[in-house]
Amino acid sequence: MHNVWLIARREYLERVRTKAFIIATIVIPLLFGSLGFGAGYLAQRTKSTAHIAILSFDPVIAADLKRELEQGRDVSMQVDLVSNDAATGANLDAELQDSKSSLTGYLQIFPPATPEARPAFTYNARSASDIGTDTALKDALKVVLTREQLASRGISSIDIDNVLAPVAIKNPTTGDTTTAFIGAYILFILMYMVIMLYGMNTARSIIEEKTSRVFEVLLSTVKSDEMLAGKIIGVGAVGLTQVSVWMAAALSVGIYFAGSTHGMGGHSVVSPSQVFFFVAYFLFGFLLYSSLAAGLGAMTNSEQELQQLNLFLAVPLVCCLFMLTTIIKSPDSTLSRVVSLIPFCSPLLMDFRISIRPPQPWEIWLSFALMSLSIFAILWVSSRIYRVGILMYGKKPNLPEILRWLKYS
Amino acid sequence: MSIVELDHIRKVYGTKVAVEGLSLVIEPGTMFGLLGPNGSGKSSSIRMMIGITRPDSGSVHLFGKPFERAALHRIGYLPEERGLYKKMKVVDQLVFLGRLHGLDAKTAEARAKSWCKRLQIAEAIGKKTEELSKGMQQKIQFIAALLHEPDLIIMDEPFTGLDPVNAALLMDTLLDLRKQGKSILFSTHRMDQVEKFSDAIAIIYKGRLVLEGAMREIKSRYPANRVQVQFTGDASFLEHPCIARCKPFSGGAEIVLADQGDAQLLLHQAVARGTRITRFEVMEPTLEEIFIETVGENVDA
Repeated sequence: MHNVWLIARREYLERVRTKAFIIATIVIPLLFGSLGFGAGYLAQRTKSTAHIAILSFDPVIAADLKRELEQGRDVSMQVDLVSNDAATGANLDAELQDSKSSLTGYLQIFPPATPEARPAFTYNARSASDIGTDTALKDALKVVLTREQLASRGISSIDIDNVLAPVAIKNPTTGDTTTAFIGAYILFILMYMVIMLYGMNTARSIIEEKTSRVFEVLLSTVKSDEMLAGKIIGVGAVGLTQVSVWMAAALSVGIYFAGSTHGMGGHSVVSPSQVFFFVAYFLFGFLLYSSLAAGLGAMTNSEQELQQLNLFLAVPLVCCLFMLTTIIKSPDSTLSRVVSLIPFCSPLLMDFRISIRPPQPWEIWLSFALMSLSIFAILWVSSRIYRVGILMYGKKPNLPEILRWLKYS
Repeated sequence: MSIVELDHIRKVYGTKVAVEGLSLVIEPGTMFGLLGPNGSGKSSSIRMMIGITRPDSGSVHLFGKPFERAALHRIGYLPEERGLYKKMKVVDQLVFLGRLHGLDAKTAEARAKSWCKRLQIAEAIGKKTEELSKGMQQKIQFIAALLHEPDLIIMDEPFTGLDPVNAALLMDTLLDLRKQGKSILFSTHRMDQVEKFSDAIAIIYKGRLVLEGAMREIKSRYPANRVQVQFTGDASFLEHPCIARCKPFSGGAEIVLADQGDAQLLLHQAVARGTRITRFEVMEPTLEEIFIETVGENVDA
């Protein structure tokens, strides 16, 4: 145990003293902090600024729509009302093809098929992926049509404005939903980064010893298992230090702003329980990924070779990114439950679920149990690869060779 | 009690036999030279000796007892592949390695400093390894192997990459340590060093032991049938029948006598023919010659 401690201590001190560590510890919270506030600010302030043309059979609807789109709550578009004929349509089509024109698209409004039905709408856009404008148009049309319907039933325009005024919901128990969601999202990205970073650091540290050939000296007194354990503990402790600093910063900033900032409703961006689970899931996620990385590091001889194997670390993490939408939509669906229990995904997905809608306690327990089992299994394999691999220089081993290593030791 | 005893150890990597049935004994207080061309199994044997790898068969005894890891604290090891942490300060590095060998931090630091002084690199102690010259790094590594005052010092190719001055400094240090009763095993393919300083040697080739024993005893097995001669004038005496092989060079020749050849006769002939002899020396074969004779000429040593 003494040797493990010595190795871990060296690893820790050498890493914590580097400039890179100090800079990352300070800069990343600043970056994410500004990103968080910035995103929140932008989400509230950004308005769609598209430039569209409207061809309408009914000038009233067209005028209402123009007013709504130019001075609406979330939009400030530039709207041209143009005459409704085939020639204009062709002109506009040509303009959409012209890259110098600022026109985003044009909307055609056709008379309803039957007197009771709504008018029909066609929107021709420059870009198919302009979701923002599309949504803004739909919302504006809905308001305009509602307004028109209400007006045709004899309701005064003041009453209509009151009816259509936006609704504000307060969340006294959880704070502002958007802020909380941004907090959860930032934690997710942060977790992704630190697990990737520190998993890679373990592998890099092994390769550093391998290329500098420090191994042989160490192996003359220390067992390879002790070296591996010391290394993982050392690198993990560095990660834990960094994460703790970040979380402490997030908590104190959260407490400082709580109540004073609009929309937070007396709640900080991250709660203490989120911090607790973040640290816990980081620890388990790190152990899982770094024991995998240790095996990969022992197999390779240089950073370049390691990069080819990075895929094994990156793929599960990227899969988690893809699953994120599913989990946001329905955190309690069977699919969400199952993927968040996969040990390689739990640190990211289960932790995210805890942030947005706490899962059943048994799910959390089960995720930790499954991660522990996987960590043991992977460490078992990795330590065997490590034992043989660190003494192998030169050629990268192929799969049958690695399998033989497992038998050797 | 012997310090190291290898009994028929064998190691196979995949299909390649690295060491085959190697047995040798290192007695206390000796300087033991392990010789062999590159890839002959020297490093593999040493690795098994100190438990970095385990022999597939055969046994290793250290300090008179079957191999146990506790004995490793009494061994200092300088691997062939030198390695230090590049970004770490020399003193931190030495203290770290010393502590891994069971020293406490204070003792390790004190000894690190005194060793650096002794090897004339006191100014290096506060620097990072990457700032040092190759030779200095080598000395640091050398110190790392000696810091815990081991009873057995194992050095794999200790002199490669050192200039003659520093090689001599290290050799003197090793001789000093032997005087203090330490046992030293070193591997090399430089025969001249072994010849001068070793008490006993083992030559291995292709993983097998081809020659082992005390230096004097091995030398005595080979007759003193080499003659170094330098002369001016008539060279016809070199055709004398008692000469088996002769390698002439400008102003002299290296002669190997035939089985019954007598150097005295040769000298007499030369003098009789009026050749001026400036040097005439009868010698034992050098270790290098013995080595080449034993393992054959076609080695890439």
